[in-house]
Amino acid sequence: MSGAEGPGGTGGTGGTGGSGGTSGTRSSRDGAGGIARPVHVTGPDGPWDEVAAGVAGHGHAVVYATSGEWLTAALSDAALSGAGSSGAGSSEAGLSEAGLRPLLGRDWQRYRRTADTTVRHRFVTSRMVVKYTAAAALGTEPTALDLSYRIGGRPYIRGLDQIDVSLSHTEDLIAVGVSRTGRIGVDAEPADRRMSFELLHDRVCTPAEAAELARLPADRRAAELLRLWTLKEAYTKALGQGLRLDFNEFGFALDSGELLAPDGRPAARGEWSFGTHQVLGRYLLSVACHDAGLDPAADTAVHTMLDAGFLSVVEEVLAEG
Amino acid sequence: MRSLAAATASAQGRGAATADAGAARPGAAHAATARPGAGAGAFGSASSDAARADAVARADAVARARRLEELLGDPYDPGNPHGLAALLDADRRAVPPYATEELLDAAGIGAEFVPAEYGGRLTRADLLVTALRPVFRRDAALGFGYGITSLFATAAVWAAGTARQRAETADLLLGGGRAAIVHHELAHANGILRDELTARLGAGAGSGVGVGVGSGAGAGAGGGPGRGSGGGSGAGHVLSGRKDVIMNAARAGVLVVYARTSAERTARSHSVLLVRPDQVADGLVHLPRVATAGMRGGLFSGLRFDGCALPADALVGRPGEGVALALRTFQVNRCVIPALAVAAADTVLHSAVHAVTTGRSKPMARRWRGPLAGVFADLLAADAMALVGLRALSLLPERSHVLAAAVKYVVPDLLRENLEELASVLGAHRYEQGSSRYGSLAKLVRDLPVAGLGHAGNAACHAVIVPQLPLLAQRSWLRAQEPPPSLFRPEAELAQLDYRLLGAAGGHDFLSATLVAAAGRLSGARSAGGHLAVLAELAEEFVGELRALRAQVLAGPELPAAVVLSDRYALLLAAAAVFGVWEARAAAGEGPGGDPFLADPAWAVLALTRLGGRLGIAVPELPEDCVPRVLEELVDRYRTGRSCDLAGTAYGARGTEAAG
Repeated sequence: MSGAEGPGGTGGTGGTGGSGGTSGTRSSRDGAGGIARPVHVTGPDGPWDEVAAGVAGHGHAVVYATSGEWLTAALSDAALSGAGSSGAGSSEAGLSEAGLRPLLGRDWQRYRRTADTTVRHRFVTSRMVVKYTAAAALGTEPTALDLSYRIGGRPYIRGLDQIDVSLSHTEDLIAVGVSRTGRIGVDAEPADRRMSFELLHDRVCTPAEAAELARLPADRRAAELLRLWTLKEAYTKALGQGLRLDFNEFGFALDSGELLAPDGRPAARGEWSFGTHQVLGRYLLSVACHDAGLDPAADTAVHTMLDAGFLSVVEEVLAEG
Repeated sequence: MRSLAAATASAQGRGAATADAGAARPGAAHAATARPGAGAGAFGSASSDAARADAVARADAVARARRLEELLGDPYDPGNPHGLAALLDADRRAVPPYATEELLDAAGIGAEFVPAEYGGRLTRADLLVTALRPVFRRDAALGFGYGITSLFATAAVWAAGTARQRAETADLLLGGGRAAIVHHELAHANGILRDELTARLGAGAGSGVGVGVGSGAGAGAGGGPGRGSGGGSGAGHVLSGRKDVIMNAARAGVLVVYARTSAERTARSHSVLLVRPDQVADGLVHLPRVATAGMRGGLFSGLRFDGCALPADALVGRPGEGVALALRTFQVNRCVIPALAVAAADTVLHSAVHAVTTGRSKPMARRWRGPLAGVFADLLAADAMALVGLRALSLLPERSHVLAAAVKYVVPDLLRENLEELASVLGAHRYEQGSSRYGSLAKLVRDLPVAGLGHAGNAACHAVIVPQLPLLAQRSWLRAQEPPPSLFRPEAELAQLDYRLLGAAGGHDFLSATLVAAAGRLSGARSAGGHLAVLAELAEEFVGELRALRAQVLAGPELPAAVVLSDRYALLLAAAAVFGVWEARAAAGEGPGGDPFLADPAWAVLALTRLGGRLGIAVPELPEDCVPRVLEELVDRYRTGRSCDLAGTAYGARGTEAAG
């Protein structure tokens, strides 16, 4: 990266709610501002207009929240729809089966197998954020969506391929990306997480990246390594491959953020956008966003997706028997 | 027409009408007389002449494919002007691979897109795929740009054109010309589908012809030669508007335009017009070429019509029949494109096996075994589903509509997922974009979305499946009779593809019945252990899912729930196709031409387990020897240079052992 900028973004204070909660941004890749500024969604009330507008206008949107912010909503949501709930005296009791099952869908079994309360809560709230974010982009209700998983583990909204989603959580932070142009991947890490360059560079970096990092002062080097790590996580998640992809098999130019092959040649032709933002003053949030180049419709609403002409012909034929 | 029950009876002696089979369409009786031998299975034929002709057609298609393989040569030879290196280089330069296009011209490939009835070589959709796979395994964009878009474009002419329109179109294609399709705008249209032309039809259009969608769209059987309107008399039509992204717009000898002819949003809003650009006197403007991210070498450009006068006989079919014609004819494309895309993905699978075996004396790294075997199983499942769709177009042309939409919905998505899985296997090799060994992945990742039209293409499939779900739930699911076994057997006799017979929609599903019946046949195997027991368990799970689906559909879902069910249903049909094809192979297992690997249940178990995973249903544990068995076959096919589809075709060129 260029020497002028600090690691993981410039300045910015922690988010304090609302849409203005993002910290300073740092967009990398060809074409600055390739990745939209993340939106802080403090609960089921959004702000979702920004998400919908971002998807329509920018092609994608990224949101973040904390599990704590959403837990209250999860509890009351579950309590509201779960008539027989034993009340919210203890948070565990508040998450009633009747309320959670429709929300979690086929994730319900996975939820039930999770013993640890904190993990359970994070599981519920992160699925809520994914569904609410997707619903905002689709112009529909979150509970009607079927959140499913590909064989590689990538989440998707069944039947509604006008959007792609990605989820990341670390500590209390939940980050969700949604895109209409192609695959999206997000990854968040605590900004103060220290990664040992000496121990990890072989596995995390291409030789070119390692050489670039080695030239930096020690503190910058650690911060840049962390940023690289989150970018690589985001990219592999966008590819749907989780941990299967070796991080030293692809790299980034530290200054431009361009995707590179291990030998340093460009590995893409501008179809990928990458960016890293700092959010809540203490997390790095990296995003990888693909543009498949189909120039898709800005409209991603569910209620407009079935072609009226096709529908009417089919209906007439059927009516005729 | 030969009903489903009759077709089944002729093949298997099962008979007995079902609720589904009883729902014959008015006017469809025409079909039976038009199609001797249709529906006859391996056990008998209505006409031995037809059977002989069909056998000849099949042998001929296989021979053409072999010859094309030889002409195109070793894909991995860097010096081969038609090899992958040359094709990737043309793609990099964003030009069509002209040398290879000339080769295809010389081989007369244009005739593949013309029905045999009009002097071409198109007999059956599955044989079209057999004949063209050598092109698509090398370069899907070449297959589109060279030619198959000509078939998509002219489909309306074969379905509803006048005798003269058909003859002229056939002449053009047989002479090496191309046809371009100018789509109307669909919901959620992307760059390729955006915008549409409008036409003012001449006063004479439509006179004396029933305009009702019922008789037009429904009874495909009615539209014989000469039946279309226009006929050269009456006033001409006026075409206006622009469309920016049309493949081969600049080099097409004929344009098939789906033009809006009514401002109202009805079933009769559009009409099809056959336009000869060289005969348009005034007002046709060719717009510049448009660069696309996928199929970069494809010649996409735009056209603008400034009130162009067209002759009265430019109208194809009846006024207002455009959307219905699109629905009827797209089902061929919806089976053909996925089937050909399987061949393109096959090449990427070969390159992935190459990547993890070359220069390695030790066994393949453990972490790649599951993904490679899994992708191979998926390709076989995709091929099975496409095969069933392709054959249904001939066998049950009025009932294939939902299935074709499901094929188009499931297969490209499955392949896209497979490519992503193979990307991890290829590791850093995937960035070797010009390499004949490894460059196919990145190219297909770009080309496949263009072939499938992305979300707009999938939404169009939902648009025809969703409104049929209630009828399917009431009439077909858990009730319909099994289709004849010949549906699943590529070597079984099959009637020719006749675009005139394709129905627009009918609320029919014969394939889910295979799932139910297979579960019944397998139920005894549950206690036997091994792969068969797992297969039996899987069958039961899928039937349970069909039952749940039925209940949910009958409850009257709204959007988006209906779309979710449409997705699940399409995956169930994929599973049904796997059961049907596996059973057919198992039955043929020991006989001549049998394939021990396909007769073995291992591939089906793996494919169905993955389909079950996508559905989120409970799947039994894979038997320990499942992945090794499938992987062993994959490596063998790679080493012997055979395709990773059901046919296991020996490629003309070896080369798989060559240094990479």
